[in-house]
Amino acid sequence: MCGILGLLTTTGTQPPFETFLAALDRLKLRGPDDSGTSREDGLLLGHRRLSIVDLSQAGHQPMESSDRRFVIVFNGEIYNHADLRPRLSPQNGWRSTSDTETLIEAYRAWGVRCLDRINGMFAFAIWDRTEQTLFVARDRMGVKPLYYSNKNGQFGFASRPGALNMLLDDGALTIDPEALRVYLEIGYIPAPLSFHRDMRKLPAGHYLLVNARGVRRVRYWDFRSIKPDPSMNSRPEGELVEELDALIHSAVKARLMSDVPLGAFLSGGVDSALVVAAMKSAGVSHPKTFTIAFKERAFNEGPAAARAAEHLGVDHVHETLDVNSLLDLLPTYIQEFDEPFADSSAFPTMAVTRLARRHVKVALSGDGADELFGGYHYYPLIDRLAPLLGWRTSNKRAAQQLLKSLPWHRTKLLAGALQSRNTVALFHYLRSVGKDYPTLLNGDIAHSTAPSETWFAQFATSFAMDLSAAETAMRLDAGLTLPDLFLQKVDVATMAFSLEARCPMTDYRLVEWAMRLPARFKLRNGETKYLLKKVLSKYLPVDHVYRPKMGFGVPLAQWLRGPLRTWADELVHDDTLMSRVPLDKKRVRELRQQQLAGERESHPLLWSVLMLLCFVQSHDARRALPVIAYREVA
Amino acid sequence: MMASPDAHQDVLFLFTEVFANGGIQRFNQTILDAFGRLGIRCRVLSLNDSTPAIAKSLKNNGHATISGFGGNRWRFAQAVLREVMRNRYEWVLIGHVNFLVLSMSILALRRLHAPRTMLISHGIEVWSGIAGMRRHAMRRVDRILCVSHYTRRRILEQAPALTADRLVIFPNALADTWASVAPTPFGRPLPSRFILSVTRLEPGDRYKGIATVIEAFSMLADESMHYYVIGHGRDLPFLELVAERCCVRERVHFVRGVSDSELIALYQKCAAFVLPSGKEGFGIVFLEAMFFGAPVIAAREKGAMDVVRDGDTGISVPFGDVIAVKQAIEALVSDSALCERLRAAGRLLVTDGGPFTFARFTSRCAEVFGIDQTVGA
Repeated sequence: MCGILGLLTTTGTQPPFETFLAALDRLKLRGPDDSGTSREDGLLLGHRRLSIVDLSQAGHQPMESSDRRFVIVFNGEIYNHADLRPRLSPQNGWRSTSDTETLIEAYRAWGVRCLDRINGMFAFAIWDRTEQTLFVARDRMGVKPLYYSNKNGQFGFASRPGALNMLLDDGALTIDPEALRVYLEIGYIPAPLSFHRDMRKLPAGHYLLVNARGVRRVRYWDFRSIKPDPSMNSRPEGELVEELDALIHSAVKARLMSDVPLGAFLSGGVDSALVVAAMKSAGVSHPKTFTIAFKERAFNEGPAAARAAEHLGVDHVHETLDVNSLLDLLPTYIQEFDEPFADSSAFPTMAVTRLARRHVKVALSGDGADELFGGYHYYPLIDRLAPLLGWRTSNKRAAQQLLKSLPWHRTKLLAGALQSRNTVALFHYLRSVGKDYPTLLNGDIAHSTAPSETWFAQFATSFAMDLSAAETAMRLDAGLTLPDLFLQKVDVATMAFSLEARCPMTDYRLVEWAMRLPARFKLRNGETKYLLKKVLSKYLPVDHVYRPKMGFGVPLAQWLRGPLRTWADELVHDDTLMSRVPLDKKRVRELRQQQLAGERESHPLLWSVLMLLCFVQSHDARRALPVIAYREVA
Repeated sequence: MMASPDAHQDVLFLFTEVFANGGIQRFNQTILDAFGRLGIRCRVLSLNDSTPAIAKSLKNNGHATISGFGGNRWRFAQAVLREVMRNRYEWVLIGHVNFLVLSMSILALRRLHAPRTMLISHGIEVWSGIAGMRRHAMRRVDRILCVSHYTRRRILEQAPALTADRLVIFPNALADTWASVAPTPFGRPLPSRFILSVTRLEPGDRYKGIATVIEAFSMLADESMHYYVIGHGRDLPFLELVAERCCVRERVHFVRGVSDSELIALYQKCAAFVLPSGKEGFGIVFLEAMFFGAPVIAAREKGAMDVVRDGDTGISVPFGDVIAVKQAIEALVSDSALCERLRAAGRLLVTDGGPFTFARFTSRCAEVFGIDQTVGA
């Protein structure tokens, strides 16, 4: 896990090298152990290293291929690199045990087809000195981020948008109106959008080829068109349980590759417990596991995690916090998410990372299982609501009137859901942060941009035929929400403390298998993650496996009325700050008033606005500073 | 023109529409032409056609008497009742499953000289929803013509009580009229290399796979390649947005109002005809493309599989598989031998006694309706 940065100048002048170094310094927390740069005609490459595999200087980057034709900067891990080595023949033999060397030799041997053979999480760039072409790739599920920009004869890329913005635009902020609209509607910015107008996020499973002719973006892997396999319906359930267990085991075992201490996040839920169980069966006798417990019962997964740890026989570490103490992490949240990001579960993620980093440098996490195996509460709801979307308009209208007349906000939201034209629209409505709230954008932006739903609709056009409504929703989550919301959260939150997170559930073999698995093994009679729970039942008592899902939440609505009240009020009433964003001030302040009055569940939308304002404020403040002051990791 | 009471005509057709663009409409035109060729008198009631459209489009079919109802279902139902009760027909051909319950109810009223019944099942409209009264009515139909093997299988899955021999594979065919249309140059200069799709562009028809093609097209290395989408509909703004987001808006051309003669020029010059649709009942445009020598890329789904056999008469890809579509286009552009082989095999389907020629279609009509071809010919 590292940070990478690069700039290819085909026309025009390069920025000063000091600017490049300052931008690279923005990635320091991603790689505090080492840094390196390379300069050649028209190309600057930079790397910040978090040493995990081959801790020696032999793993230093940028790294050249054995024939010196290629040079690489790489962020991530190639889990099957040891398996690939016997098929590769570097000139003069291997120089290190680093997966970086394996990757560049794989590219030397197989070109872009190396992507079909590697299994890992990665974002990397390889410069071909002979062809004068830059090859930039991101892993299949989007575990590692990569941003790029191509304008005025300069192609730049970076692990984080802040570094790239500093490199190319001297930190000037030009907001992409479409990204802003999407962000306010769904709380995050899906690839290829980026908050900066001239910047793009490379979508998961894509690569770029950059040369004097231009930039070409190509998708190299895609789960969307994989059909559910009806023959799995007739197989004995026990056989499927064993097959899934073996796949998880294999994915976890591959992710144990490390030359530094390694542990796992353990909540009271299904996914992390499965990962830890697989670690045990893969030969880690006493894996270290980490949990944040809260004093408030409503948020406290500590006891459940402790029980799971006891059953699994692991070395469990937990820290009990007052939930309000998470607010200490607000400055880190604002600083490290260097584009607006409105998922408040980043707080507990950062807290558990902070705890884990005191003991290990790598932690496995269960992220990805909910999207692949049907873990979210709204999947059964979507299956139930989808048939109603085909009702006659008059019947739908009558049902909506009835629901709206009821005194509960949730029935009003349900009435809104019935307005959806199709499953994608229904999913979008249920996932959106604003739901039935009128847009907060200024009129001109609202009119000149496409609704965020069109991104979901576009992504869904390549889904396999005849999926159920819930399967459609799961694929939308797996392809859009997972990489650019949840995996981004994990990446940024763990990198803020220089800890590498690995997500076995995003192993592409597991993803492809999950796509083939028919829906009845994911949701059954309202039960979520049906088959995954069967697997966990092999390792934990049934009452633990089937306990209600808790989530990784924080009391955001209460915070905004309590400890964060003044902070939030100051932000929304700061006229200077409000003038920096194209929002309707009056509506924003109304929203704040409604949230304070508890009239509606408006805190997700309000939080999005506050994070937007914080981002702009922080961006402006940071730009005024000549040097970024980073905390050193203890 | 209405038939006089108790006159004897051979076949009563109940159609949704005849004189418009679309797969079902083209099928209806072809079957009327085939009956004309066989010399069988036909009475046609067409729900959605209007009388002016009929007058304008009626060309060479002196054997058919056609009435249109402009979408008025009540008038259409009245006409069906009148025709069935006043006249003696040998066959009633029900052109759409939506007419099935109505038609069978009316036909039940006619005790003496009841005509035999035949249902045409095209595709998506019978792949689901055969239950209740519709399934009951289907059991009473004498014969069900299925345009593809997939359609036949789906009907049998939903109505297992039907005996399989009552479901006849009755594929579509290239209309006879295409052979006599002379190509005219396309209304504007064409690029040297382009791929082509011909389809409706409605939000409910995203299964046609146009967005998938746009994404695949955007990944091609050859930036001189263009993409022509012939068709129109309310989904055009969405597809334009997709092209914009894929950074190929200036090379993707959405064109409407293309005449048949211009379309021939496009078929003849395109590098590939690409329609990776997930729900084609049959896909008559594939036959048109093949007839004019375009190599075809289709999805490995449903009715299209009867026409496009992978590596033989075209390239078939999994529906929605952007990478496979890109690779298929690249293969056709880069491998001229493959391209020629597919062109030749595709053309054999629609020429020289191939399975989807008008002549074979006419013979199939004669066979299923028990018509002695020597009489009509």
